[in-house]
Amino acid sequence: MQTSKRVLLRCAVAACALLAIGAGAGSYPAYLISLAMVNVIAAVGLNLLVGNSGQISLCHSSFMAVGAYSSSLLASTVGLPFWASIPAGALVAAIVGALLGLPARRLSGIYLALATLGFLQIVQIIIEEFSDITGGVRGLNTAKPALLGTPLTSYGIYCAVTVVCVAAVWLAINIKRSRIGREFDAVRLSPHAAQALGISVARVKLTAFSLSAGYAGLAGGLFAILVGFIDPNEFGIGSSLKQLTYIVVGGLGSIGGSVVGAALLSGLPELLRPIKEYTDFAAALILLAALLFMPHGLAAAWHRVTPKRGKTTGDVPA
Amino acid sequence: MNDFFRATLRSAILATLPLAALAQQAGVTADSVTIGAFGPISGPASYIGLAGRDGAALAFKEINDAGGVNGRKIRMIFEDDAHSPARALAAAKKLVEQDKVFMLMSVGGSNATAGTIDYVKEKGLPMYVSIASAPGVTYPFARTLFRGGTTETARYGELYAEYLSEAYKAKHIVILSGREEYPRNEGDATVAKLKEWFNSAPAARIEFNVGDKDFTPQLSAAQRANPDVIAFFGNPAEAALALRQARDLGVKAPFFVGANIVDPAFITAARGAAEGTKGFSLVPVLPGSKLPEMVQWEAKWRKEYPSASVGRPNNFDLIAYADAYVVADALKRAGPSLTKDSFIAALEATRDYKVNGLATSRTFSTKHHIGNLTLVPMEVRSGTWEPVPWSSTHQSDILKRYE
Amino acid sequence: MQASFYLQLAIAGISVGSVYALIALSIVVPFKASGVLNFGQGELATLGAYAALVLSQYGLPYYVVAPVVIVSGAVIGLVMERVLIRPIIKAPAFTVVIATFAIGLAIKSAIALHWGDTPFSVEGPFGDEPIVAGGLRLNPTSLWIVFCAVAITALVGCFFKYARPGKAMRAVSINPEAATLMGIKVNGSYRWAWAISSSIGALAGLLVAPVVGINPEIGGLILRGLVAAVLGGFSSVYGAVIGGIAVGLLETFAAVGLGGTVKNLAPFLVLLLLLVFRPYGLFGSREIHRV
Repeated sequence: MQTSKRVLLRCAVAACALLAIGAGAGSYPAYLISLAMVNVIAAVGLNLLVGNSGQISLCHSSFMAVGAYSSSLLASTVGLPFWASIPAGALVAAIVGALLGLPARRLSGIYLALATLGFLQIVQIIIEEFSDITGGVRGLNTAKPALLGTPLTSYGIYCAVTVVCVAAVWLAINIKRSRIGREFDAVRLSPHAAQALGISVARVKLTAFSLSAGYAGLAGGLFAILVGFIDPNEFGIGSSLKQLTYIVVGGLGSIGGSVVGAALLSGLPELLRPIKEYTDFAAALILLAALLFMPHGLAAAWHRVTPKRGKTTGDVPA
Repeated sequence: MNDFFRATLRSAILATLPLAALAQQAGVTADSVTIGAFGPISGPASYIGLAGRDGAALAFKEINDAGGVNGRKIRMIFEDDAHSPARALAAAKKLVEQDKVFMLMSVGGSNATAGTIDYVKEKGLPMYVSIASAPGVTYPFARTLFRGGTTETARYGELYAEYLSEAYKAKHIVILSGREEYPRNEGDATVAKLKEWFNSAPAARIEFNVGDKDFTPQLSAAQRANPDVIAFFGNPAEAALALRQARDLGVKAPFFVGANIVDPAFITAARGAAEGTKGFSLVPVLPGSKLPEMVQWEAKWRKEYPSASVGRPNNFDLIAYADAYVVADALKRAGPSLTKDSFIAALEATRDYKVNGLATSRTFSTKHHIGNLTLVPMEVRSGTWEPVPWSSTHQSDILKRYE
Repeated sequence: MQASFYLQLAIAGISVGSVYALIALSIVVPFKASGVLNFGQGELATLGAYAALVLSQYGLPYYVVAPVVIVSGAVIGLVMERVLIRPIIKAPAFTVVIATFAIGLAIKSAIALHWGDTPFSVEGPFGDEPIVAGGLRLNPTSLWIVFCAVAITALVGCFFKYARPGKAMRAVSINPEAATLMGIKVNGSYRWAWAISSSIGALAGLLVAPVVGINPEIGGLILRGLVAAVLGGFSSVYGAVIGGIAVGLLETFAAVGLGGTVKNLAPFLVLLLLLVFRPYGLFGSREIHRV
């Protein structure tokens, strides 16, 4: 386990490295990296819920939608600048996540999965029905982010995404080590034992849902300014399932795993561009191969291969 | 510096400007011009992108074999957009910044294309949109964006409303549309024009969801409205299912279908029930027709793509093929010193151009970039789509807002 | 007029519900036997439908096509189980589900690559002419689907109750260690489970192809099948069928009463309500740990 100073240092170094790369690279690679970072934020949040707290969620992309649409609408109707509208969107998503967490407290396994699936349908319907506000199935042009009057360049957006992504990962690492993180683990491993120890499982589940929804909302808001155009299709069941594959391949419970899993798998279609229409098939096979050869995820495979330094617990370190 | 020196310097700079402009013109060399194209070749909309790509590629190949344009061969680089705005933007960025293309051609869907519009405008690159009906392409007017094969959404509404009211003389029109972008737009546009031009409203407006397999509830509701005609907007598979179920249930009203359903696949899937269905087509002749010109065209298409799947070539092959020729024609008229400006000017000078009898003509102007306002009414007769002798008598309102 | 209108709707609901029931059945069987939720069952139905297409293009009659599809479905299930599932059975359950999802994706994209998105159709085994009886119009293929759904469920139910391999599967699902001590080969039990569920899935595709059309998106039915399975209690074979029919009826009547918007939501809402009062579905018996 690393000290919190070392974690902070590593995150700062990562941020600087990413910012430097983005400055040198063209707008196309920077855009791709930004998309990957948005997926990382969403995946890290989902991992807190699924990997650490052991809850299942099929509606993570719906929270991204909530964040994306609310931050876009706050920016265009009330005129909030992006550095306020995106956190506001994340907050809205977190509140909605808590609302879902309330009935979800009493459910688990396949029942919880279907409840979240139902929630996903509800969000899709709301987006489509209120099309005067959301643009409906036709999509919505999102407000251009600007700082002090000047519009952000694509590098400016890249910097914003980088800073938020690194901060989100850093926060997740700290959550995982804090009391909340330990409560998540307890609830995952044995809800009965946790309850017996005085942990309110219901409260923990609520926190987990709310927190992961907030992460997704943040990712959604960033996605909206990155692409400039959103439609409900981007936030459907396919997207939720993709995010689940990121954290499963990365290694459930491992933050580093989620980061690498999300970055690799979300970037995979771009890498597969040369094979044109065979991308879907190849991606499915790659996913299958990853699961067959590393059923406990990249993180576990990595720790099998690299020598361990010092004492480690049975749990997978961040 | 004295005046003479300054004058000489000025002339020297002015003399090199055209060369400089040529040197700076991305995607153009002495013997080639590179076009970047994108569309969905993976995911559920791949039948659009694959056809768009193959149709355009065939056209460009023919043009190159005949010598190219002004001695330049046309090189097309195609990227997948997976029917998503985020991926379409990635494709556009790659084509513009990595492949340094001269212009973009979109054979993708509406939302995906919409995701690229701001970027393309910012880069000042010409983009020719062949299949998407995203409104942002043509309104507000943008100097570098052009819409070719597909027509404006409002135009569907105009023609559908007129045909339903005047050709069917329908008193009770039931609109049955899917909750997806394109069918919803068709439905909305039809309702709007029924009200505006004919002061009427549909007897019922019923929706179904993507992926629905049973239309009994919707058809029963439709039946209760006593329809003279059921206007169905969705995709060919849904239309075929709904039509068969309608006949099973004893719903006798004829079906009028949206433009993307006027496709041979609809007839195959609907089996016998399709007979008598009408709709407007974006192409005057559909693949599968026995017209000699189509038979020839399909033969040369199959020669180029022998292993394509069943159901190809489809409408989008035809539309992209025609639009590729429009682009090439403008490239030629832009002249040997090819720049963005000369190309745009050449496109804007296009008047009633079409490459063969299998396409509708394109007209652009300096005021509007809406290339096609023609839809061809068709009917299923003896198992194929045949043109119907009918023409619109109402003047279109579409171009009025550009005057 | 009114009664026959509602009756017609009810028939539509039951017909479409039987489709969901078959998918639900193909999900419940492997879950009951090996605890694995097979997210790729939808794509097995797609395979079955395309198999029907290919075989019908050869002009083979239905009574030849059906057994071929059943057997090939079983074979595919066995291969899947041995090659793809058995190696990772020790992984977290969630990983296995995602693996089945990946298998489904691979199948679907392979189909789309070869046949494209063109919708095909085949004729039902009894033709397309609706049977008109007493003011009601019945599609013969839909009736056939309902009949098959009920028949297959009864067969599977009897298999679990009376046949040796079936009883073995039940034993394994309750307690694998005890079952092994009793001499039951757990691996063999898993193989049976996968073979049966895959052949049901493929057969479902074959049965529904005439009414649903043939295209790569048939696999989307799995979401409805899941709801049906959970509604029915998720480990009960009869629950799956009742759940499927319930979902079909709920959707159909919701569409008429509340419009297309709410149609998809109705089964979820009913499910959520049900779970409040009966946390193990209508007929289920799995324990839920209420904390």
